[in-house]
Amino acid sequence: MSGSVAQFIWYAGTALELAFVVCSVARRSFLRYFFLNLYFILTIGSSVARHLILGDFGVDSAEYRYVYFYTDALLTVALYLALISLYNRVFGELRFGKYVRFASVVLLLGTALFSYGVVAQSTDRLTTTSFAYELSQNLYFVGLVLTYLLWGAVMKLRETRTRLVQFVLSLGLYFSAYAAIYALVNLGGGPHSDSVVQIMAPLMGCFLPMSWTFTMWRHSEETRMMTAQLAAVPR
Amino acid sequence: MSRKLGAVTLALGILVGSMALKSALTNHNTNSGTALTANGPDPVPTPHRKS
Repeated sequence: MSGSVAQFIWYAGTALELAFVVCSVARRSFLRYFFLNLYFILTIGSSVARHLILGDFGVDSAEYRYVYFYTDALLTVALYLALISLYNRVFGELRFGKYVRFASVVLLLGTALFSYGVVAQSTDRLTTTSFAYELSQNLYFVGLVLTYLLWGAVMKLRETRTRLVQFVLSLGLYFSAYAAIYALVNLGGGPHSDSVVQIMAPLMGCFLPMSWTFTMWRHSEETRMMTAQLAAVPR
Repeated sequence: MSRKLGAVTLALGILVGSMALKSALTNHNTNSGTALTANGPDPVPTPHRKS
């Protein structure tokens, strides 16, 4: 991918992330969806930091890898918190909020311990960067499974809040697309596998802020929808 | 107490399932070195040469 296209995707993605924060402030939903906003604020901050490091050292430098994988681990934890906040909103009315928070902490600690175990067992030298990388990868898969479970709960409980339904649906599509890219690359393992990631991953990075911004702008908190319509198969 | 134990069991079950899914997807080619990074549109570095 040429540098100018990559830069355009990068700037477009960052603009969309900023648009979500601006939209949620304009729609007076910043605190209601605080963790979603926090995730995008951290993403914008990381983008600025990565841009500065990339300009000085280049994409293949140790400095950029260090900053990239550390900020990525931080962002994956923030995305995990955003996902748990969506769980809280779905299960909040059932008074399961306390147990959701408890289970999420156990799951986060369990994932961190597992990641540490994997890195400690590997033949490579144990570094904090490799731990951050492993934690990010493992937490991503935990997020993927949690999103599918949440979607199942949304359908089962017949959740009607349009924003909530579309946030979860977008997150599911986003995670699924990444899993598909990952599977394609790992199962194929061709010489161009890294190139596929270099092109597809930044493009998918634009999808989540775009769909969430659209949802935030298009629908108010009071908008309702029938989730049964989403599962209905036309005959 | 039993609800808390249930929450712990569920959390561990999700962790096991997630890691099984990851293993299934990476089983055929563990040396590809592909980074799965799901945060933002920034250029992805290769994770081979960890510092």
